[in-house]
Amino acid sequence: MTRLENKTAVVTGGRQGIGRAIVDAFVREGARVLTCGRGSRPEDLPIAVVWQQTDVASKSDIDDLLVAARSELGEVSILVNNAGVQIEKTVLDTSDEDWDFLMGANAKGLFMACRAFIPHMSVGGSIINIGSISGNTADPGLALYNASKAFVHGLTKSIAVDHGPAVRCNAICPGWIMTGMADAAFELAKDPDAAKQDAMARHPAGRFGQPSDIAVMAVWLASDEAAFATGQLFTIDGGMTAASPLNPGLF
Amino acid sequence: MGILEGKTAFVTGGTGGIGSAICRRFIKEGADVVAADLSENGTATRFIKYDVTSEEVAKGTFEELAKGWNKLDILVNAAGIEIEKTIEDTSLEEWNQSFAVNVTGTFLTSKYALPLLRKSAGASIINFGSYDGFIADPGLAVYCATKGAVHALTKAMACDHGPEGIRVNAICPGYVDTPMLQSFFTGEGSGGDGKSLDELQQAVRDVHPMRTYGTPDDIANLVNWLASDEARYASGQLWVIDGGLSAQVQQMKL
Repeated sequence: MTRLENKTAVVTGGRQGIGRAIVDAFVREGARVLTCGRGSRPEDLPIAVVWQQTDVASKSDIDDLLVAARSELGEVSILVNNAGVQIEKTVLDTSDEDWDFLMGANAKGLFMACRAFIPHMSVGGSIINIGSISGNTADPGLALYNASKAFVHGLTKSIAVDHGPAVRCNAICPGWIMTGMADAAFELAKDPDAAKQDAMARHPAGRFGQPSDIAVMAVWLASDEAAFATGQLFTIDGGMTAASPLNPGLF
Repeated sequence: MGILEGKTAFVTGGTGGIGSAICRRFIKEGADVVAADLSENGTATRFIKYDVTSEEVAKGTFEELAKGWNKLDILVNAAGIEIEKTIEDTSLEEWNQSFAVNVTGTFLTSKYALPLLRKSAGASIINFGSYDGFIADPGLAVYCATKGAVHALTKAMACDHGPEGIRVNAICPGYVDTPMLQSFFTGEGSGGDGKSLDELQQAVRDVHPMRTYGTPDDIANLVNWLASDEARYASGQLWVIDGGLSAQVQQMKL
């Protein structure tokens, strides 16, 4: 018995990392899935998954994404807004071009996808946005990224309020998940190995997250088991943000 | 002229690290202050020996106070204790004692102060929560739990007694240079490895966005404002003051 039988899903940013883990999990659970990314179809994408080349920051690409989804899937029951980019800069170092690039994908792209898909989603549909623990408390040197994720959290609640009961809308706030983005952050360290050890010690779970840790939450939120869950931000971070950031054992 | 001129104030834990700083500031601002605590500890304030865990003491103290004061404007529930243990190592006796001081003490003192607080033209109760009531420090289980209870009690009291003109807020300090903080660092659970605050000082500073930890005067500054009439619209809130510590995600060594 699969939990997403007869469901159809659109997942943005499905090439790699968290997005790809969600695509794979949805397929395993019986959903028909369309995913997208800025490049061409990844070679290892399962044959049953539809690929649509899409820049979520582009309105015409979002329009095309909707057309493709309706012709390939029919009614869409699940929308996962996962596509996102990260820029490692403070406010003072951030250019207008940085703003357009980051907010275009993380904020405007997510907004445009919701606006396009909500009228065409089946009743009982589920929107899952990827927020971040950084949208609640700041990571140093990620100013616009942090702010864009706070936007995601705010819009998640707005959509839940405005468009329930037809659709549910929740956000998942991942902590440190081992993806290319996390590797990029560790590469900034003076001693990347020591930095990883230090970061590991701050996780009550004793490990970093894997994309699949987020995918299992997405499956649950997409399924009918989550029928009463809407408007919430669900943190999955191995317990990291439950603890104080000051840990004398790690000085 | 001080901003608390003509006001009366009762401060539990009034001779402790933060409590004594609050009393000094209140006096400077013109208030008539009673420091209530277990031991006098050389306070410059009028001192009353006071055990927050005793209903009899609370009842008797406020009956006595009512003979000299016709109103109470400010109540600060600053008495608190901390036990540096996980739940596994915490005895039931220690658990009960922590709740008796940190939670029951706030309840009893507030309860018996109410008749005098109602006679104020604008009363303010200031409880002591902690940022530990939101996010945990290691090896402080019962302390974290008591502070979460104080946060909820603060909101409940604000709802119940707001219509009577009594404001209720909680201050939630982060790391403040007090004997309690030193005790946390030397305790087993913190991971401080028995090192003193002096030895750990730079590391503690570095993890704060403000690159410093707090002093009792930093806390007294906010207590003073919440006690004053400037804060007349502030009630039912939990005021975190921690140098930005809890605004950030865990500080990785990058």
